[in-house]
Amino acid sequence: MASMEKRLQKELTALMKDPPTGVKVDAESIYKNLSEWIVDLDGAPGTLYAGESLQLLFKFGSRYPFDSPQVMFVGPNIPVHPHVYSNGHICLSILTEDWSPALSVQAVCLSIVSMLSSCTEKKRPPDNAFYIKTCSKNPKKTRWWYHDDNV
Amino acid sequence: MADDFQFDPELNYDEATLEQQRQIEKDIADAQPLISDRIGLDQVIKEYTAGEDQVFVRKIEEMKSTYKCVRKTRADGNCFFRAYGYACFENFLTDKADYKRFHEVCDKTKDDLITLGFPQFTIEDFHTNFMEAVTKLETIDQEELISMFNDQGLSDYLVVYLRLIVSGLLQKEHEFYANFIEGYATVKDFCGHEVEPMGKESDHIHITALTQALGVPVQVLYMDHSEGSKCNLHVFPEDSKPSITLLYRPGHYDVLYS
Repeated sequence: MASMEKRLQKELTALMKDPPTGVKVDAESIYKNLSEWIVDLDGAPGTLYAGESLQLLFKFGSRYPFDSPQVMFVGPNIPVHPHVYSNGHICLSILTEDWSPALSVQAVCLSIVSMLSSCTEKKRPPDNAFYIKTCSKNPKKTRWWYHDDNV
Repeated sequence: MADDFQFDPELNYDEATLEQQRQIEKDIADAQPLISDRIGLDQVIKEYTAGEDQVFVRKIEEMKSTYKCVRKTRADGNCFFRAYGYACFENFLTDKADYKRFHEVCDKTKDDLITLGFPQFTIEDFHTNFMEAVTKLETIDQEELISMFNDQGLSDYLVVYLRLIVSGLLQKEHEFYANFIEGYATVKDFCGHEVEPMGKESDHIHITALTQALGVPVQVLYMDHSEGSKCNLHVFPEDSKPSITLLYRPGHYDVLYS
């Protein structure tokens, strides 16, 4: 537990001091003793999501950073994207089986911004209706099939 | 059985599968410490006499002429890194001749990784913890080393850093190693899927890279169901004289002692 808090405190300090473009986190959006964060993202200029304000919810377990955080979109604007379900769940391999402890909140945010930026057509995943009816509340409890790295 | 299966749209199969997977992981964790004490080969043979696996019984009997005991690692997909890391650190408790070089090599890995584009923030975190452990080798004893490797938080920090060292070396020498990877477009891709994530099992390429990066050779005794009573010994790198031996049984590595 101690190592998780120590690591998260360091990540938070670094992110608040030197945030990458379009990523914002402040002390007010940290909950439950560092284990839940809300991070504000801006859609990158020149992409389909330019000008959109987005929010990511991060939940960290006691085994972080060895286990991946639970990450999903929350708030009024869930981006319409082929890998983002309308309940906010994201199909991105680094969030489950390709997670590495060398990644961080910042790396996840940048991956998600990059995933959005390379999108060429705003649409929901083809199985959206079925998925949101049957899935768990926790996206990490879904066994994802990562079929398309190009979107 | 399969014919009786009827898909129930109200059930969450993913959750059930993952729950079962977690239970299996927990059962293994409860039954097996990350690093065990030394266990005599006679004890190891008993795992196979009950199942009447005569090939393995024969091979372990033969092994007894050279080796005495094993130190088991938990079967969590990190066994190669944990076994090699432990055996390597254990040697440096007594072998001070090579320790200074080892300390310097490990220390330098951080800059190499950052140069390769790994995120400085997390690399520094793992490197600091790894170097603290390496520095402690000057003062601690065997018992303290065992408890270090059985402290899951710390032990996993060491495994992660060894994985990063492997990834760093493969990427640094990607032109060479690209010849040995299958199923991935680039060495970087391979590392992201098969080296850096915890729990991903190790193959020859991981062993080759780690021994090359740290300059600490290893020999691996491979026990399988092939004919004969002798196990095959592989030395990494080929012309070296390793002081560390690992025992490989299908899907798993333990430390082996003579």
